[in-house]
Amino acid sequence: MRCVAGDQSRQERIRVRGLWVRFGSVEAVRGIDVTAYAGRATALLGRNGAGKSTTMRVLGGVIPPTAGEVIVDGVDVRTDPLTVKRATGYCPDVGGLIPRATPWEHLQLAARLRRMQGWETRAQDLLERFELGDAAHRVTGGFSHGMGRRLSVVLAAFHQPGVLLLDEPFDGVDPVGVEATQQVIDDAKARGAAVLISTHLRDLAMEACEDALVLRGGSAVAAMDADALVGEAGARAYRALLD
Amino acid sequence: MPTEHSWTELRRGLADLRALLAFRASGLGRRTRRRLSIAAGIVAVLTIAAVVAPAYLREPLDGRRSSTFVAILPSLYLGFLVLATLAAIASGGGREVVPREQAVAYPVSSVTEHLGALLLAPLNIAWLIQAWTIIALTTYVLGPRALPAVALPLLLWIAFATAFGQAVGWAFEGIRRGSQGLLVARLISAAAMSVVVTLVLSDELVPALDRSPTVRVYLAAAYATGHQWGAWAASLAGLVVLLVVAVLVGLVPARWALHRALREELRLESGRIEPRSNPGSDLRAMMRIDRASIWRSVPLRRGLIVLAFMPGLVALAGSLEWSMVTILPGLVASGGALLFGVNTWCLDGRGALWRDSLPVSAGIAYYAKVIVLFEVLLAAAGFTILLAALRAGTPTSAELGSAIAAAVVVGAQVVATSMRWSVERPYAMDMRSARATPAPPVVMAGYSARLALKTTITGLVFSGTALADGWVFPALVALPLLCWSCVRLVRTADRWAVPELRARVVAVVAT
Repeated sequence: MRCVAGDQSRQERIRVRGLWVRFGSVEAVRGIDVTAYAGRATALLGRNGAGKSTTMRVLGGVIPPTAGEVIVDGVDVRTDPLTVKRATGYCPDVGGLIPRATPWEHLQLAARLRRMQGWETRAQDLLERFELGDAAHRVTGGFSHGMGRRLSVVLAAFHQPGVLLLDEPFDGVDPVGVEATQQVIDDAKARGAAVLISTHLRDLAMEACEDALVLRGGSAVAAMDADALVGEAGARAYRALLD
Repeated sequence: MPTEHSWTELRRGLADLRALLAFRASGLGRRTRRRLSIAAGIVAVLTIAAVVAPAYLREPLDGRRSSTFVAILPSLYLGFLVLATLAAIASGGGREVVPREQAVAYPVSSVTEHLGALLLAPLNIAWLIQAWTIIALTTYVLGPRALPAVALPLLLWIAFATAFGQAVGWAFEGIRRGSQGLLVARLISAAAMSVVVTLVLSDELVPALDRSPTVRVYLAAAYATGHQWGAWAASLAGLVVLLVVAVLVGLVPARWALHRALREELRLESGRIEPRSNPGSDLRAMMRIDRASIWRSVPLRRGLIVLAFMPGLVALAGSLEWSMVTILPGLVASGGALLFGVNTWCLDGRGALWRDSLPVSAGIAYYAKVIVLFEVLLAAAGFTILLAALRAGTPTSAELGSAIAAAVVVGAQVVATSMRWSVERPYAMDMRSARATPAPPVVMAGYSARLALKTTITGLVFSGTALADGWVFPALVALPLLCWSCVRLVRTADRWAVPELRARVVAVVAT
C-alpha cells in the first residue's frame, strides 16, 4: 500500500518507497511509503510495534533498510548513510544519552563531528530554553526521564538539520519542555526543514503537524491531513484505524 | 509482623533466588544452554581431576617437594580467604543475579541478593584456579588414601572462605556508602596495605604466615589419611559450623549495605564537571567520551585501581623475579578487559543509538574504543610492573624487554579478543553500580577462563625470552604476535563496518 503525506507539489525532503526492515524472522516494517516535505511536520502514529521507531531509525541512518528506497534530502540512505546522518537530527525513542557524559560534552561531540563553528551560543540558548542550563555540566546518568527526553530533542535540533526526526519527544516531558519542543518544531519548519514526529500523544502531534501517517503491524494504513485526527471525531477515526 | 532476620525471610529469599535463576535461564537459547552444560561438565571433571590426579602422582614422582608444599599449604588456604574477600570488596559486596535495572520492579530482598552473590562467586576463573590449586597440592601431599574424606574439609574451607569474604565485602560496601565512607574505606585499605608492607620489610611475613590457624584445615584433611576419624569428624563439624555462621552472619552487613544510598555514584552524578576545550579531531572527540565513560564509572575506576595495585603488591610481597614478572601483565589485562572491554559498547549504554546517528565513520568509532581500551590496560599493566620492579632487582635487558613486550602483546591480544566478543555478543548492561558486570555472570566466567589461558601462555613465553642474551629476542617474539593481534583487530573492524551488524549491536546495547 502506498501512503503519501502532504502535497506533491512541495519540495520533498524524505522519500520512502516500499521500505522493508527485517530482524531475523521478524518483519518490523513491511513495505511502507512515506513522503515528507520541506516546511511541514508529519506525525507517525500507531500502536506499539507498528514500526514507527524502526522507520525513524532507518531515516536517521542507524538501521539499514532490508529492501526499498529511502531518500533523505536527495541522498540514498543505503549508499551514503554518512551524508544522511549529516542532514538529519535524530532524537531516539529510548535513552539516547551517554550516561557518564554531560550535556555540554554531548553537544561538543556533535559540534565537532558536524563541523560546527561558534556553536557555544546556540548550545547555551537551547539548553536554557529547555531549562537544562543548570544541568549542562552534570553527567546525564543522574537525569530524570523528562530531562533526558528534553536533552535528546536539543541534540537533534542543535545543528539545524534539514530533516528533524523526533521519536517520542513528548514522552514524560513537563509542559515547559513540551512548549520548548513545539517551538523547536516550529523553528525547523520555518527554516524549511521537514519534521517527522513519532508519538502516542495524538493531541500534541496534531498541534505540531500538518500531515499524519498511521502505521499498523509494520504497514501504513492511512495518510491524511492532521486536521482529520483532531478532537473527538479525530480520536474515533484514529481508534478505528488502529484495529 | 516484621520478618527480617527470620527463617521465614531466609526461606523466602531462597525461593526468590530460585525464581531469579529461572528468569535468567529462560533467556538462554538452546545453543547457550548446551555450551553451559559443557562448561559445567568441564568444571566438574577438572575438580575431580584436581582431587584425584595429584594424589596418584605422588608415588611416581616420589613425593617430590611434598615437604615444601606442606609448609606453604596453610598460607595458600589463607590466601584463598584473602582472595575471596578482596573479590567481594572489589565487586561492591558481590555480583547481581539480575541487573538492578531489570530487577527494580520486583521485591528482591537483601537475603536473595546475599545468597545470589554467594552462588555467583565461584563463576570466576581466579576463584576456580585457586580452589583447584589448594585441592590438588593437598591431595598430592597426602596421597590417594581416603580421597573423598580428604577433599571434604578442603571443599568446606573453600565454601567458608567464600562466605566469609562475602560478609566482609558487604561490610566494606556498607562502610563505603556512609557519609564519610570513601575516606574511611581508603583509610582501611591504606592501613591494611601498611601492615602488609611492614611485615614484608621487617621479614616478618613468612613467620606470620607460618602461624596461620589454617594449618587446622590441613590437619583435618590429614586425619582422614591417618584414619583418625574422630578428629576428622570434629574438624569437619567445626568447618560446617563456621560455614553456616558465615553465611548467616553475612545477611546482616548485606542488609545494612544494600539499604544505604549509593553515595559515591550519586556524588559523581550530581557533581559539576568542568568543560574542556574543543577536541582537535574526530578521533580525539570520540576517545574523550569513552575515557569519560570509564573514569566516571565507579565500578570501572575502582576495578582498575585494584587491578593496578593488587598483582603488583603481591609481586612486591613475594619478591617476584623478573622472569616471572612477565606473567603479571596478562593477569592485569585480562582483569581490565573483564571490567568492560568484553562488551565495550556498554560504555555508551543507551546513548549508543544517538552516538551511532552522528556523522562519523564506523572505523573512527571502532578505533576510538580500541585505543582507549589498550591505553587503560597498558597503563594498569605498566603500573603493576613498576611495583614489581621495586623488589625484583636490576633487570637484564632481556628481562626488561620481555616484561615490556609481554605487557604490549597481552594488551593487544586482550583488546583484539575483547573487540571481537563486543561485536559478536553485545549485552545491554548499565555499568553504574559497583556490582554490575559487562555481561551475564555465566558468560563472564567463560570469558575469564579463555582470557586467563591465553594471557598466561603468552606470559610464560616471555618468561622464556627473559633468559635470552638481550632485548632483541623478546622483541622478535613479540612482533609476529602483535601483527596477528592487529590482523584480528582489522578483521573485527571490517565486521563492525557492516551496517546490519552494527545496527544489531547498537540496538542491543541501547535497549
